[in-house]
Amino acid sequence: MSQADLAKYFKTEKQLKFSTDFFTDAENYEVWDEIDFSDLQEVEGENTFEIKAEDIKFYAEGGLDDNPLMNDEEYARKSPFGGLVAHPIFITTICFWCVGVKGKGNWIRTPGARNPGQVLEIYEYFKVGETIHVKMKPHDRYIKRGKCYLQYQMNAFNQDKVLKCRMYATLILPRTRQDIRKFLKGIRGLSD
Amino acid sequence: MENLTFESVNPGDVLPPFIRSVSQETFWKYAVASFDYNPVHNDPEWVKTAQPFKIPFTVGHGMMTMSFMTTLVTNWALPSMLQIRKIVSKFTRPVELGWEIICTGVVSEKHFITKGKNFVVVDVKAENRQGDLLALSEIEVVFPD
Repeated sequence: MSQADLAKYFKTEKQLKFSTDFFTDAENYEVWDEIDFSDLQEVEGENTFEIKAEDIKFYAEGGLDDNPLMNDEEYARKSPFGGLVAHPIFITTICFWCVGVKGKGNWIRTPGARNPGQVLEIYEYFKVGETIHVKMKPHDRYIKRGKCYLQYQMNAFNQDKVLKCRMYATLILPRTRQDIRKFLKGIRGLSD
Repeated sequence: MENLTFESVNPGDVLPPFIRSVSQETFWKYAVASFDYNPVHNDPEWVKTAQPFKIPFTVGHGMMTMSFMTTLVTNWALPSMLQIRKIVSKFTRPVELGWEIICTGVVSEKHFITKGKNFVVVDVKAENRQGDLLALSEIEVVFPD
C-alpha cells in the first residue's frame, strides 16, 4: 500500500502531512537491546498536537464509532458536554503524531512490532482547541515467554500543563537492530 | 435511554453489545485515523513473507480492537455524563480480515468510595463469530454525582 493509495482516505490537515512510510527512518528507531535504562529522564515528543474537530471526528469514523457526541458538532454542542467528545483511544493518534520520527519513543513505529495490550489512565477527555504535548520516559523492559517487551510511560498534557491522559505504551519488539533490518527486507526478524 | 446513576448500576448488569465487521479497508482507515502505519496492518505484500504473527496476511490494529471494546462502554456511559477513567486491555489473538468482531460487557465490580469518586468496573471481551477470544478489557467508569 503506497502513500498515494492511502491518500484517498485522507480528510484532515494532519493526515496530509504525516508520513505513512514506517521504513524510511527505521535505522533511527530506538531498539530493544540498545535503550539506556540508566537514563530515565522524561523527554518531550517532537511535535505538539492542536486538536481540531476534524481530528476527533475522523478518529471516530476510523474506529467505526457512530456516536454523535464524537461525530456531530451541533449535537455535541447542545449536549451537557458542550462540544465534541474525543474517543478515549484517540490518545493513540496523539502519541504517534507527537512522538515523531527521530526522537525518543520512535520505537512505536517499528515494522514487525506486535501489540500485547495497553494500559490507559484518563484524567479528562480531550477537547477541541487544546494543544497537547507528550512527555515520555522508559518504564520497563522485559522478556516473557521468549518475547521482548518494551514499555514507556507517555504523559499527555494540554497547553495549561494539565495532565489529560497517561499511557503505558507497550509493544513486543524485534530484539536487535539486525532483527529490524530483516523485517525491512520482508524477512521475519523474531525468534518466537 | 435510561439515565445511569451509581445506585442504579450493579454487578451483573449487561451492556448492549457492539458489533462490527472488518476488512482491509477498515484497517487502512484505522491506520489513517490513528497514524499507526505499521505494515503488518497496511501492506498485504510485505506481510506475506515478514509474518510477525506467523500468518501471511494483514491483521487489525490492537488499538482498533481496544477502540471497539471502549466504544461499547462509551455508548453506555457518555449519555449519563460518566467518566471513563482507566482501561486495561490485553490482546489474545490478532483480528483477521473478514471477521465480525463482537464486543460484550458486564459490570463486574462496584466501588463505594465517596460521592464523585464512586466507580464501577466493566469487563469487556471481544470475540469473533466462532467464539474465539480476541481481547479482554477492564474499564473503570466513574460516577460524577
